[in-house]
Amino acid sequence: MHAMSGPAGPTIAVEQDAARKQLVAALARIAGGDRGALQILYRDTSAKLFAVCLRILHDKGEAEDVLQDVYITVWQRAGTFDPARASPITWLVAIARNRSIDRLRSGATTARTQTIDEAAAISDNTPSALAQIEDWQEHRRLMECLDELEPRHADAVRSAFLDGITYDELARSMNIPLGTMKSWIRRSLLRLRQCLER
Amino acid sequence: MSDDHTKASDDSTPVAGEYVLGVLSGAERRAFEARLAQDPALRAEVEYWERRLGVLASELEPIDPPPHVWTNIESALAAEPARKGLWENLLFWRWAAIGSAAVAAASLMVLAYLARLPTMNEPLVAKLEASGGPARFVAAIDSGGRGLTIVPASVPNLDRRVLELWLIAPGDQPRSLGLIEPGRPVHISLPTDLIPRVTPDATLAVSLEPLGGSPTGLPTGPVIASGKLTNL
Repeated sequence: MHAMSGPAGPTIAVEQDAARKQLVAALARIAGGDRGALQILYRDTSAKLFAVCLRILHDKGEAEDVLQDVYITVWQRAGTFDPARASPITWLVAIARNRSIDRLRSGATTARTQTIDEAAAISDNTPSALAQIEDWQEHRRLMECLDELEPRHADAVRSAFLDGITYDELARSMNIPLGTMKSWIRRSLLRLRQCLER
Repeated sequence: MSDDHTKASDDSTPVAGEYVLGVLSGAERRAFEARLAQDPALRAEVEYWERRLGVLASELEPIDPPPHVWTNIESALAAEPARKGLWENLLFWRWAAIGSAAVAAASLMVLAYLARLPTMNEPLVAKLEASGGPARFVAAIDSGGRGLTIVPASVPNLDRRVLELWLIAPGDQPRSLGLIEPGRPVHISLPTDLIPRVTPDATLAVSLEPLGGSPTGLPTGPVIASGKLTNL
């Protein structure tokens, strides 16, 4: 289910490249104080980032607040974006996740647990809109490496990332001791890195 | 394995990966971010994992936010004063480059540093930019014209190379002014023979060079930023 061969075809790769260049250009203009460029960036990326925030926060109002904060942060920090070091969508996702996780940890939202089954269900969705701004090649590479992990470990990594939950919550949601969860995740990170660098 | 995420020398725990994954508690995140602000190697680790794991977000179906989110962003921006001025810009870039955790400390450091700059009659300054990109360095010539201070604004990826600063007077070849630091302001005493060439027409440029600097006396690596000296 992880091959995603369709979106990585040559035509998509060209479109993907053009879409990425457009985002890079928008970020450069935002860094120079161009509000119109922020609006374009918002139009092209807000649905993706809203999904990221909503998944972590589980609350529409909270996610809207954080999303607003994310684009104001982008406005202020666009000058630090370095296209040689990050793809624009990865950079934006990192800001959205950090803001959402910080909000979650601040205790402003009610604690909730989510089962791994839900995470697995979403991960099998077919990519549709915005496919052109994603890095499907990177995605496929990660999937190959996740597939080399024990399935439960891979599920834990995926759930940790998408839900932004702590070791503690992760251990409880998967019903295993905290120490075990820590060693699963740490070992998985080390093995992922070895695999990704092959 | 240690659970202490505040230690700098714990190589067995992939703490940058844990941070990006999002499994750390609030206190652990703050402790890690404090380290992050001062450790470029750790920043590179975080960027690595953001790039590698970040693609997992492509598994989420996009959801359109309600229209009032954009309206709120617009009003927040309208309330912001317009950006202007070189030094404000510098503070902005410096602030932005360092990130959230050490914002207050860094801003104070830059302010304190700027306050120590000698008073200048006709200060000669340059903003060094990548072509069309944001400012990467800001340089100012001392009032006596014998020294130069260069402040990094956004820190480039060095990848085991060093930064070398060049002076290019009109019609002249690049002259090395020495190596500069990516992470802090550097003061350089100008070589006596180059002092007359430091004029409002001259250009400053920064290139990436092998460790120890250019072996040829001319730039050998890519020029990552350049800018003309101008009177402030």
